[in-house]
Amino acid sequence: MGRWLLLFVLGVIAILMVSPLILTVFTSFKPTTELVNPPWAPPVSLTFEHYVRVWTEAGFSRYFFNTLVISAVDAVVMIVIASLAAYAMVFMEFRGKLVLRVLFLIGLMIPVTAIVLPLFQIVRGFGLLNTHLGVIFADLALALSVFVFVFSSYFVGVPKELHEAARIDGATEFQIYRRVVMPIAVPAVVTTALLEFLWSWNDLLLRLLLLTRDEMRTLSVGLLNFQGTMTRDVTGLSSGTVIMAIPVVLLFLFFQRHFVRGMTAGAVK
Amino acid sequence: MAGVQLINLSKAYGDVEVLHDINLSIADGEFVVFVGPSGCGKSTLLRMIAGLEKVTGGDVMIGEKRANDLSPRQRDIAMVFQSYALYPQMTVAQNMGFSLSLERRSKDEISQKVKEAADALKLGPFLDRKPGQLSGGQRQRVAIGRAIVRNPQVFLLDEPLSNLDAALRSETRVEISELHQRMNTTMIYVTHDQVEAMTMADRIVVLNGGNIEQVGSPMDLYNHPESEFVAGFIGSPKMNFVKGRYAEAVGATTLGVRPEHFAIGQGDDTWEGRVTLVERLGHDTILYVNVPDAGALTVSLDGQHGHQAGDTVHLRPQLEFVHRFNEIGQPIVA
Repeated sequence: MGRWLLLFVLGVIAILMVSPLILTVFTSFKPTTELVNPPWAPPVSLTFEHYVRVWTEAGFSRYFFNTLVISAVDAVVMIVIASLAAYAMVFMEFRGKLVLRVLFLIGLMIPVTAIVLPLFQIVRGFGLLNTHLGVIFADLALALSVFVFVFSSYFVGVPKELHEAARIDGATEFQIYRRVVMPIAVPAVVTTALLEFLWSWNDLLLRLLLLTRDEMRTLSVGLLNFQGTMTRDVTGLSSGTVIMAIPVVLLFLFFQRHFVRGMTAGAVK
Repeated sequence: MAGVQLINLSKAYGDVEVLHDINLSIADGEFVVFVGPSGCGKSTLLRMIAGLEKVTGGDVMIGEKRANDLSPRQRDIAMVFQSYALYPQMTVAQNMGFSLSLERRSKDEISQKVKEAADALKLGPFLDRKPGQLSGGQRQRVAIGRAIVRNPQVFLLDEPLSNLDAALRSETRVEISELHQRMNTTMIYVTHDQVEAMTMADRIVVLNGGNIEQVGSPMDLYNHPESEFVAGFIGSPKMNFVKGRYAEAVGATTLGVRPEHFAIGQGDDTWEGRVTLVERLGHDTILYVNVPDAGALTVSLDGQHGHQAGDTVHLRPQLEFVHRFNEIGQPIVA
């Protein structure tokens, strides 16, 4: 009985969580004539016209490319710098390590919204406004603490003797990092890649602030084009949302196993 | 190959000194075992020789070179860890050849050296396996193989057999001894197991509380312990220590009698006691005997005997083999 009740509760929660997605998918495939039907009614005849319109006329092909470039570079560079920083924090002894640790901790505590204006000024000061590089630097700086923490949690689980054995074998710190530690840190790499990609992909605030020229915009900003003060292009918004969601959903489905392992690393030993 | 010299070596963590003024000279090709109870500093000492722990006082000399400021890679040593420390993502062959690949040796040379070491350690069929697919004994042999391929000046082994079961431990013990005879390289071996120390070492270094208690050949330590601690640590079952009237009778504060140096007999010179437990090992019989004024004693008798728990026995210590200690645990020389 208890099990059925639990399943029922979980089922209700699952339906509540999935319902906006279902609504969006239904709407995106509905011909405009069907929009007068109740919103929850599935499309009677399927159409891809909204997708084509959004992809071509609304500029989503460019937004998609922009978003992909920023997110992919974010993810790759984050893996490299966060893992290097975490490696130093876990495996190396150096002066000022504690101060650095505290700084990373502070980085975890400060919300983006609190520093968005100074960030804007810094990016403008470097002449990186309306460049992808400016957004990438801002993304990396803001999320670095989180991923140093992800990698550190994973690295502390790597036996100290492995690092020592590699030192005895004659490896330099960088060789140990590259050939011994990173190959066994796949779950942390996947977690970082997915999370950073996802955050970068979905972020609106920084892109809205730092990318004001249309040709530089990303998908999240592009979606705002379908929403005016008085009007709302529901089908455009829906198909744009689906286009934006598909890559992320596919990535998660593909790497889910590694992702969970990376997130729980260090939780139990 | 090279010898190792430790000169006034000390190690402190903050204000706490864990090794005090260690002086030791290890000859080229010698097999030396550091032995002592947990926390005595034996692993720390080994790690200082390896370059994994900083020296806070004194010098480590490897060959003719002062090694204090050399990194592990510059010391030309190899180390086998208790936990094997094999790289889990690499195959056996890659693990064994890792150090050579770092030196940018040719692939042919690496595979030839790996094959030689693998053949010597009977690892040939496992070269393509990952460590996770091997048994504990095989993993330990890979760890030893990884050390061999480098042909180092000094081998360091940190409790390499502790994770193996009893049968495998004695088998691997023999293999390591044979390996030393074959390679004739200086080996420094850390263990808390005095049986390993006795069976493998050319010389044993007994450590206690961060000090060297005694250095000598296994039989030296067994026959002529220079302290009560060494007398109790070397030998299995361990030496009996008797205080009170039996010790005073021979002019000592403490009388040390090894279990095998008791005979069962009759007469005024025997100690009467009651057997509390009997262990029958086939080749030996171990009696645990409670003797008034002497306490609980362990007696090892050759061969098989019919004693039962509850029996009364008369023990005669063989006086020519007993050890006499003064109040500070030093031996009394006759």
